[in-house]
Amino acid sequence: MSSLYEAKSQQPPKTGLLLLQGLILLLFCVFALRFWFLQIHKGAYFAEQAKNNQLRQDRLYAPRGLIRDRTGKLLSLNEPAYALGLVREDCKDLEATLKTVSEWTGEDLSKLKETFKKSRKRVKPFEPLILAPNLTFKQVAMIEANALHWPGLEVVVRPRRQYLQGPLLSHVLGYVAESGEDELEADEDLAVGDFVGKQGLESVLEKRFRGVKGRRQLEVDATGRRLKERILSPPVAGEDIDLSIDLGLQELGGKLLKGKAGAVVVMNPDNGQILAFVSSPSYDNNSFTSGLSQKEWAELRDDPMHPLQNRVIQSVYPPGSVFKIAVAACGLHYNMINPKDTVYCPGYVKLGKYTFRCWRRGGHGDVNLEDALVQSCDVYFYKLGMKLGVDRISDFAKKAGFGELTGISLPHEKPGLIPTRAWKRKRFGEIWHPGENLNLAIGQGYTLTSPLQVARFLSSIINGGRLLRPQLLAGEPAEEQGRIPMTEEQLKIIRKAMIETVDGPRGTARRLRMKGVVVGGKTGTAQVVKLTDELKKMKDEDIPYKYRDHAWMASFAERDDQRYVIICMIEHGLHGGSGAGPVVKALYKYLYAEQPKDEGVGN
Amino acid sequence: MSPIDRRLLIHMNWFLLGLAALLFFLGVMNLYSASGFRMEDGMSVNSFYQKQLIWGLMGFGGMLTFMLFDYRHLKTIAWPLFWVTVLLLLAVPFAGKTIYGARRWIDLGFFNFQPSELAKITILVIGARILSRDFEPLGFMKLGYVFVVGLLPAGMIILQPDLGSGLNVLLILGGMILYRGLTSKVFKTMAVAIPCLIPLGWLFMHDYQKRRVISFMNPASDPLGAGYHIIQSEIAIGSGRLWGKGFLGGTQSQLRFLPEKHTDFAIAVFGEEWGFVGAMSLLSIFCVFLYQMVVTARDAKDLFGSYLAAGVFFYFFWQILINMGMVLGLMPVVGIPLPFISYGGSATVVNFCLIGLVLNVSMRRYVFKQG
Repeated sequence: MSSLYEAKSQQPPKTGLLLLQGLILLLFCVFALRFWFLQIHKGAYFAEQAKNNQLRQDRLYAPRGLIRDRTGKLLSLNEPAYALGLVREDCKDLEATLKTVSEWTGEDLSKLKETFKKSRKRVKPFEPLILAPNLTFKQVAMIEANALHWPGLEVVVRPRRQYLQGPLLSHVLGYVAESGEDELEADEDLAVGDFVGKQGLESVLEKRFRGVKGRRQLEVDATGRRLKERILSPPVAGEDIDLSIDLGLQELGGKLLKGKAGAVVVMNPDNGQILAFVSSPSYDNNSFTSGLSQKEWAELRDDPMHPLQNRVIQSVYPPGSVFKIAVAACGLHYNMINPKDTVYCPGYVKLGKYTFRCWRRGGHGDVNLEDALVQSCDVYFYKLGMKLGVDRISDFAKKAGFGELTGISLPHEKPGLIPTRAWKRKRFGEIWHPGENLNLAIGQGYTLTSPLQVARFLSSIINGGRLLRPQLLAGEPAEEQGRIPMTEEQLKIIRKAMIETVDGPRGTARRLRMKGVVVGGKTGTAQVVKLTDELKKMKDEDIPYKYRDHAWMASFAERDDQRYVIICMIEHGLHGGSGAGPVVKALYKYLYAEQPKDEGVGN
Repeated sequence: MSPIDRRLLIHMNWFLLGLAALLFFLGVMNLYSASGFRMEDGMSVNSFYQKQLIWGLMGFGGMLTFMLFDYRHLKTIAWPLFWVTVLLLLAVPFAGKTIYGARRWIDLGFFNFQPSELAKITILVIGARILSRDFEPLGFMKLGYVFVVGLLPAGMIILQPDLGSGLNVLLILGGMILYRGLTSKVFKTMAVAIPCLIPLGWLFMHDYQKRRVISFMNPASDPLGAGYHIIQSEIAIGSGRLWGKGFLGGTQSQLRFLPEKHTDFAIAVFGEEWGFVGAMSLLSIFCVFLYQMVVTARDAKDLFGSYLAAGVFFYFFWQILINMGMVLGLMPVVGIPLPFISYGGSATVVNFCLIGLVLNVSMRRYVFKQG
């Protein structure tokens, strides 16, 4: 037995017990009162609310930001589009409803069921679940007419992207399409059936274009019929964006490349703005918005001309003689060339048992640096290549932006390739042979560049050596990514040679000559395959398309303060001068034409 | 451990057991009604009530387990239990499963175990052990010690983040302290200090929690967000009026205007279908149910048992208070279920286990044996 003291200590606290009972009483009183207030005092009011007015939430789609060119011309806007939505809570017989939808839209029933199943968990109560994202007017009419019989179905109106120029800007703008599973998973703001940017600027600037959905309060009766609506928060449209692209110039570029495979870039060398960005052939980005069929997709994908390929940034080609500009610059940088020194070109160079030929069989005779660039003498550059060696050339080329991404705000850019000893060992397990220095020096061999890289490099020759990030948005400030290690004096030598290539009597880019405008250029003819003797004998027109050489034209022009760099590259276009030259010339003519006063944009 | 003898069965609080069973039955019935709509869906059949029945069976097993041994053994294992709980809580961030963006669960294969549920049991065992050591009112030192013990698991739960359960742990301990009694000096100090600390808590709240508090103050400020729940649940309950719309007859809840009607807002369905009469009955059952724990605390053989019963009292009391307060629009929306009425596996099992613990205390009130 316990002592008296212990017995006392084992007594539960009296006040504590009272407290617990008090709490129970309090709990009862407060909630009983509240139940009385809600159910008896205001019961009639709430009963009325429950019967008549039920509040629902609904979202209001925000229009995507508009896209304009640098002069304010519209490139893309939003048109209303109609989707078929299903409000599960209003739908009495799901099976029958889905069957009807299948009849109306022609969509497979099992596919509709799957869409429903997948989307179900992502849709809030009373929110329409999008079953068919794109309805035709005929379908809309039919659904509206039958809406009474199918209370769960409704036509949802949403803004849909429309690209006014279609294929012309597809490689810049990209396209939007219905968001996929991954995107929905990663982005809370997305709902099933929402459109998101999938390619190009639409994808890169998705967050800016998108805007914020609004919310609407709907009062509906017990059968789901709408009685009243109130906008709780209006949708906020996405940001409008002005591109650096000049629509007129772009249109001209597209026209000039029509029927050809190739690319044109027009860049302002002083700020990196891209005025034209043409990749040909192209595809119609509108077709993605309205839903591409499996067959249409397969056709696009398997097209031998590869319209989906962005030739400005994704296709990389041997640069051919255009690369000689970089090699000449490299020679100047390492003080391995005195511009006045001449090299004798007999039409070939021998190295060991191999003979490396100049494009001009008979040779150029004595040529100095300028002559060599103007006439694109291979022998001069073979010898320079031997002197410089792969290490110097590749190091310099990287500093000039070759083999590196330009950082343009578009997805899937390819860096191209500048070979090095280490690269070759890794790739082929072989050492670098001296003969390869010769090929490297004339832009053949392993070297691969994208047209945009060439444009950036050439811009740096014009603007004092600054490597600028190519900009697609108007008003974006110039962004310097690096500098090519050259003095202004050395740059001047290169520029002068390029101008002489256009102006000089023996220049290879004479077609570019224009009155009142200083134009410089460099042609390039890039071998696709080593031509067999048989092919060599053929006339150009007889060589099969896929064996024809690629044609390059790299150029710049200046009048007053207006400076431009234009790069044109035509796949299998045979010769730089004749294949790509006319395209470039036409673009300069446009740019330097007397423009109507009201269109003057200051630059 | 001696086998259960007949005296134990005679002295057991059968009334409490009956009330718990009744509440559970009402809960399952309500759940059947609330999830009725989903049953017709044809595509996503979610038989919540069936699952809840299975949880109930498991809970019944848990309850028997918690009755079998002499509760005074808990005193000995109180501290080991405490540290095991802390370790499990520590493991959550690493081994935990993420559901709805919060890591609270540990996957045990057959079901997801929530260490925070265990923490609620642990806190009342360790609380009973510390508080029953002597009987003087608590001074500052002792109070500080008790709260540090409580803050360790509570803080870890809040960081999961699960503010509701974390506060629940603190509230259980706080209730037990009030039961024990404070010196008047401590009481006065706290009466001043606690209201001052509330704004500090605001700083630690998540944005969504702040939104809930704001929308509680003014439901119209966010009628489709957090306020939506409150407005809809008020309409549902209010429209039930005196007699209710009858079983399965609630239009508000049936039509799914009511969010989370099977979990935290289960009482709204009940209120709509059974009206004021039903609501009063349920409220009364809850009050008598709570009173049985007061009786057990009063009659317990020792202080430890008394504090255990008081702890369980507070475990249920706070949940009922907060859940009903929230659904009736008297409190901000926090995710706390209504015992036995809301759907939930872990909660149901823990509820029954704790009833088992109270029964354990009540049936051993005449057994004279030193623990």
